[in-house]
Amino acid sequence: MKRYFRELSVLGALAAVLVGMAIFAPAFFSPQPLLSLLTREAPTLVVACGMACVIITRQIDISVGSMFSVCSVCAGLLAARGWPLLLVLPASVALGALLGAVNGLLVAGLRLPSIVVTLATMVTLRQGLNLVRQGEFVNLPDRIQWFGLSQMAGQLVLVGASVVFLVALALAMRHVAAGRFVYAVGTDAEAARLAGIRPQLVTFLVFIFIGALTGLAAMMNLAQSPQVQPLSGAGLELKVIAAVVVGGVAISGGRGNLWGAFTGLLLLACVSPALIHLHIEAYWEKAIQGAIILLAVVADGLRARGLNR
Amino acid sequence: MKKILLHLCTAGAVLLASLVTATAADSKLVVAMLPKSKGNAYFISCKVGADKAAKELGIQLLFDGPTDSNAAKQNEIVENWITLGVDVIAVAAENKEGISTALRKAQKAGIKVLTFDADAMTDARSFFVNQATPEGIGQGLMDEAARLTNSEGEFAMIVASLTASNQREWQQHIEARLKEKYPKMKLVAVRPCDDLKDKAQSEATALLSANPKLKLIMAICSPGVPGAAEAVKQAGLTGKVKVMGLGLPNENKRYVHAGVTDSIILWNTGDLGYLAIYAGVALAKDELKKGAKTFKAGSLGTFSIAGDNILLGKPFIFNKANIDQFDF
Repeated sequence: MKRYFRELSVLGALAAVLVGMAIFAPAFFSPQPLLSLLTREAPTLVVACGMACVIITRQIDISVGSMFSVCSVCAGLLAARGWPLLLVLPASVALGALLGAVNGLLVAGLRLPSIVVTLATMVTLRQGLNLVRQGEFVNLPDRIQWFGLSQMAGQLVLVGASVVFLVALALAMRHVAAGRFVYAVGTDAEAARLAGIRPQLVTFLVFIFIGALTGLAAMMNLAQSPQVQPLSGAGLELKVIAAVVVGGVAISGGRGNLWGAFTGLLLLACVSPALIHLHIEAYWEKAIQGAIILLAVVADGLRARGLNR
Repeated sequence: MKKILLHLCTAGAVLLASLVTATAADSKLVVAMLPKSKGNAYFISCKVGADKAAKELGIQLLFDGPTDSNAAKQNEIVENWITLGVDVIAVAAENKEGISTALRKAQKAGIKVLTFDADAMTDARSFFVNQATPEGIGQGLMDEAARLTNSEGEFAMIVASLTASNQREWQQHIEARLKEKYPKMKLVAVRPCDDLKDKAQSEATALLSANPKLKLIMAICSPGVPGAAEAVKQAGLTGKVKVMGLGLPNENKRYVHAGVTDSIILWNTGDLGYLAIYAGVALAKDELKKGAKTFKAGSLGTFSIAGDNILLGKPFIFNKANIDQFDF
């Protein structure tokens, strides 16, 4: 109980918000809009899982938003050229993995700081995309949206898939050797190396992993609308990093889990619709989200001081 | 010897002069049009109108620009045109200050310069063909929203951000118009979408469930319109909640044809190109002078001039009936 205090406190905050909404704005829980909003967060959840792994290894990847855009546009163009979904999906994942491998190679191979490397790739990819597309939308064929299923079925598939993925990965992080390596490298890379783990290889693979997940998420987003905006995914990095940090993953590496990241994401994602339902001005949205992040960071700081004593 | 040389020179000069007059005689007035980017569908649709004007006026139209929005490349093209000795240059400036030096140089070389779509520094051109004033956009949007809802009921707005100056300005004109003319309409929420279609969709979804009496969503940033339309479609409220706003035809055609989005408001880009060419030719022929209050452009009729801005006038409304005629 004490060990998971941090995660449980976020869950408590989320529960408080939901109870508050049930009392003051029960319309918040109308099933159809709620399902639509959850579907919109499904791709974000997949990227947040990857970001949690990256941050647990004591790295960071701020290029996910740009990778997301590049994968979305490329997948969209392939789909528009008539490629079947069964080919577009692996292509998008492979492209994401490739972009992630570039980050990984620079960080793990050349031992460059990940914040600088991914800042550079973030800007390069974003501007490259702007140059090529000039903001023009990609219009998709009708069969892409909801994978050709009904809207309800498509939404359930996307939400279901993201939750299944979350559960599988969370269990793997705890019970599979590779998952434990990630924690070991983030806690103390030198100790991990002495224990026979190759920290640079783990780091490299984690960057490939988040790239592939970003490609997957781009597809999950693509399947929700009949067109792709090249700007799609801008700001995604902030959203997922915030979710992960709020959820109790320590930015200094080695600590936290995916359940926390999931709860953090839901808590932050609630803010905007909750304000709309309570008819509160939009100015508050980012202020409240910022306050939540600040609170989480302060809690982590206090906890770290407590440990050092 | 000297004499022979002189004769040769005069002969050469005469030959040259006759060549020049020959080309001038059959190639008429040359108007060069410089878009921000020549492959951009928006400017291609401006060119459709410009071509029409060129044909009507019997002038030669040069249309060239960077392949991407590149301010330095724009300067290069202007320099080339100065060397070539065109009569008029019409520019949509990518960089206001950047292009102005080259344009001043062109003016010194006797070329008439005007801007369209995006202005340069005022001393670097004679006139700016202004596609829309903030007041015109705000009133156009509000009037169309009122028309779609029979001037009553709740509506919500999606903006790019709460602080961007152009968005603030449009919003103020919309709210002023609302207060002045449509007392039975009520603006219940203004939500930012950060220029993201996906976020606009999430915001619109929450707006729809939080405001069951909502009659219309107005988006005043271009990604906001398809985003709101997708939300209305997914909520199964097509036709019950109207969607309209400021946007581009190609991003909205699908929703307009499906009956989700009712109208898109922008200016008629073809008319913008047409007007720019007419104004350029009138400048070259000295028919359009500083201080003029109105200007007549062929089949489009008379336009008013505010200072040195030739105003294209009321925004254009794209709907089911006409949207397929526009490709940008």
